Amino acid sequence: MNPELALLNNYLVVGAILFGIGVIGFLSRRNTIVMFLAAEMMLQGISVCFVAWSRYHNDLSGQMFVVFIITVAACEAAIALALILMLFRASGKLDIALWHHLRESNQPGFVDEEIPEPPADGKPAWPHLTRAGIEPKADPGATDYRSKV
Amino acid sequence: MESWIPTLLVLIPLLPLAGAAVTAALGPRILRSNSHWPIVVGIAGSFVAAAALVFAVRGGLPAAEDHSATQEAGDAHAHTEGAPGYEKVVTLWKWAVVDGAYQQKTGTKTASRDFRIDITLRADPLTAIMLSMVTFVSLLVAIYSIGYMHEDRGYWRFFSYIGLFVFSMTMLVSVSNFVLLYVFWEAVGLCSYLLIGFWYEKPSAAAAGKKAFLVNRIGDFGFALGLFLLWTTYGTLNFHDTLAADGSVVQGLSTAMDGSVVQGLFGAQRLAQGPAAYVGGGVATAICLLLMLGACGKSAQFPLHIWLPDAMEGPTPVSALIHAATMVTAGVYMVARCTPLFHASVDAQMTVAFIGGFTALMAGLVALTQTDLKRILAYSTVSQLGYMFLGLGAGTVLGITAGMFHLFTHAFFKALLFLGAGSVMHAMGGVIDIRRFGGLKRIMPVTHLTFFVGCLTLAGFPLLSGFFSKDLILAAIQEKQGGFYAALYMAAAFTALLTAFYTFRAFFCTFYGPELIPSEAGHHAHESPRSMTVPLIVLAVCSAIVGIYFEVTHGFADFLGQTPSIAYLSRHTHEHIHEGFHWQIMATSAVIALAGIGLAAAFYWPARHPIADGTHKAAEAVGLYQLSKRKFFFDEIYQMLFVWPLLGVAAASYWIDRNVIDRTVNLIGRAPPTIGAALRPLQNGLVPFYAVGMVLGLIVLLAAVLMGWGWMV
Repeated sequence: MNPELALLNNYLVVGAILFGIGVIGFLSRRNTIVMFLAAEMMLQGISVCFVAWSRYHNDLSGQMFVVFIITVAACEAAIALALILMLFRASGKLDIALWHHLRESNQPGFVDEEIPEPPADGKPAWPHLTRAGIEPKADPGATDYRSKV
Repeated sequence: MESWIPTLLVLIPLLPLAGAAVTAALGPRILRSNSHWPIVVGIAGSFVAAAALVFAVRGGLPAAEDHSATQEAGDAHAHTEGAPGYEKVVTLWKWAVVDGAYQQKTGTKTASRDFRIDITLRADPLTAIMLSMVTFVSLLVAIYSIGYMHEDRGYWRFFSYIGLFVFSMTMLVSVSNFVLLYVFWEAVGLCSYLLIGFWYEKPSAAAAGKKAFLVNRIGDFGFALGLFLLWTTYGTLNFHDTLAADGSVVQGLSTAMDGSVVQGLFGAQRLAQGPAAYVGGGVATAICLLLMLGACGKSAQFPLHIWLPDAMEGPTPVSALIHAATMVTAGVYMVARCTPLFHASVDAQMTVAFIGGFTALMAGLVALTQTDLKRILAYSTVSQLGYMFLGLGAGTVLGITAGMFHLFTHAFFKALLFLGAGSVMHAMGGVIDIRRFGGLKRIMPVTHLTFFVGCLTLAGFPLLSGFFSKDLILAAIQEKQGGFYAALYMAAAFTALLTAFYTFRAFFCTFYGPELIPSEAGHHAHESPRSMTVPLIVLAVCSAIVGIYFEVTHGFADFLGQTPSIAYLSRHTHEHIHEGFHWQIMATSAVIALAGIGLAAAFYWPARHPIADGTHKAAEAVGLYQLSKRKFFFDEIYQMLFVWPLLGVAAASYWIDRNVIDRTVNLIGRAPPTIGAALRPLQNGLVPFYAVGMVLGLIVLLAAVLMGWGWMV
């Protein structure tokens, strides 16, 4: 493998990793600012790939695209942060799941399940295990406390 | 003078059309009660132009020897004898030009031919006579309407319809092409419909307009089929010869020997060739019968006569103009124009004669017992139109000129009678039932006198115009050989008796007997205003003198005989035209007319006589009275035979439309919402959910690329 190709490979791997982290972050978080950061990270991953390919092919148009991406990302950041600010002012929260008004009119809204309060004594509550051999009875009313969602 | 013809031909229809446009544009707001001015002035100008056209055509008539005045005719007729007649064709522009529109096969050769419609007007004696008659009667009726339609809400609407009608009718008689003839045939039908239903708030008027339109549709359908058959047979619908474009001509029936001219149906070249240039046999009969069906619809002949009596729902000037004098004669005009076609089929000629004779007799019988003054006149019109067709059906020069002469005189006296009836109706506050008024002689002296002249003319009183024209028709029928025409002659003579009787029955019931004025008239039943009486007087004078004038000078037949279509007959049949008077027939019909008048006088003069009641009772006893009174049950029969089945079909169609077609469509219409409902949960408004969708899509695309499913991307 010639050095140019090895260099390209390394950069592409870095770009892919950045993009992957961005995707996972975007999908797994509900905090709007974090999601926004994740989206930015995807963009940067793509940018790294562009630059790498540009270097490999000795063609500057890839880098030109990156300049555009950065510019667009800056504009997007301004608008997105303003938007997030407005949403925060309206509800006092950054949770993306609070905003689902664009659904079909006859679809049920998303209802967030309450996270149970920690017990007063601070001890973690563990599920009650039934004796072996008998089918455990589900306790539908009780929601067990977990310190992590 | 002859060089004016193109200008005159264009002016005649254009002036009424311009008048109609001005009235329609300015009538409702600006002209209001002066809306009649554009129309009266336009039609007056049109009449002057038509009169000038008559003189121009007369001036252009060839001298006794062969001298053709036609534009495009060659010398093909040099070997034939007799004058070819006179025509002048003015092509304004060409319309709907399709090059190579259809293929024509002649033997082994196939060539494509062009289709185009020439916007062409023609001047010949037949057209000139029709134009002068139409514009003259229209002018008088328009003047009469000023008084009659006074203070009607639709005053301007009425006059603009009249202008439109005069435009359509003058175009109808002056075009030189079957397509345009059909167009204006429909246009006059439209004007008739609009004017019958003029008082559209009245349900009976609206229904009558609809009936007239629908019955005419049947006739027009036949007419259209006739035109199609003419086109496939002859390959042209022009009356006149036209120059062909280079190389587009196939040698055949419609082509001259050198191939440079497309022979029109009644063009000089074809007429010069004689009967050989016309297709005979079954095709000729079919063409003529289909054209005759159209004529039956427009001219209210059996079996399509039922619309005309109902058309009397329209304003009386309309009845006088459209449904007595002009539009209903369009069928007669068309058959006269197509003389060479009818000449090619003896069967069709006999059918025309039979329909004419039968209609004349049947309508005469119905008119005996009607009590509505306008309906008596309407059936009388149907009957007289039957006479005209009888004359045309004789198929001789004498018969055709007699039919056209009767058309000409009938226009005057029937317009006079209708306008007189309108005058009575005007004074009686809209009542037209002859049982409800009587003895109007003292109140309406002018109407009485002019109506009297009209009745005498219609009854065929000696030396008045109706007498001469009716005699000519009878003479034409009598000249024909065979029992068929002998029977028609008897029927026509009996119809003359009926005509005299029912005309004077109406006259005596209206103007004699004890004075009886309906309550609708109020206390001031009076003679009509001058704008109404002057046209009556003019028409009365015309009805009285045109007959004797033309009989003495023999001007009408000689002039009309110069029409190419009619001159054709005298050229190719070697028919001997009897000059002079038909003394025997004249004496017979004078006796018949006097007998009819005398019979009516015995029944109804000076007042209703017991004999009338006795006859009435006797006729009632054997059912004849009801038969006549109910118009031979034609309306009921048609109701049962055609209307009810059609209503049944319509109801079935409605049910199928509602329950089968609509439901299927609704079912199909329900599919998209169902599919949408299935997909709707995807649209839940949560951003992470959408993001998952996008990522999954991306993964699928990546997988497709990696696994080589190129077609997917």
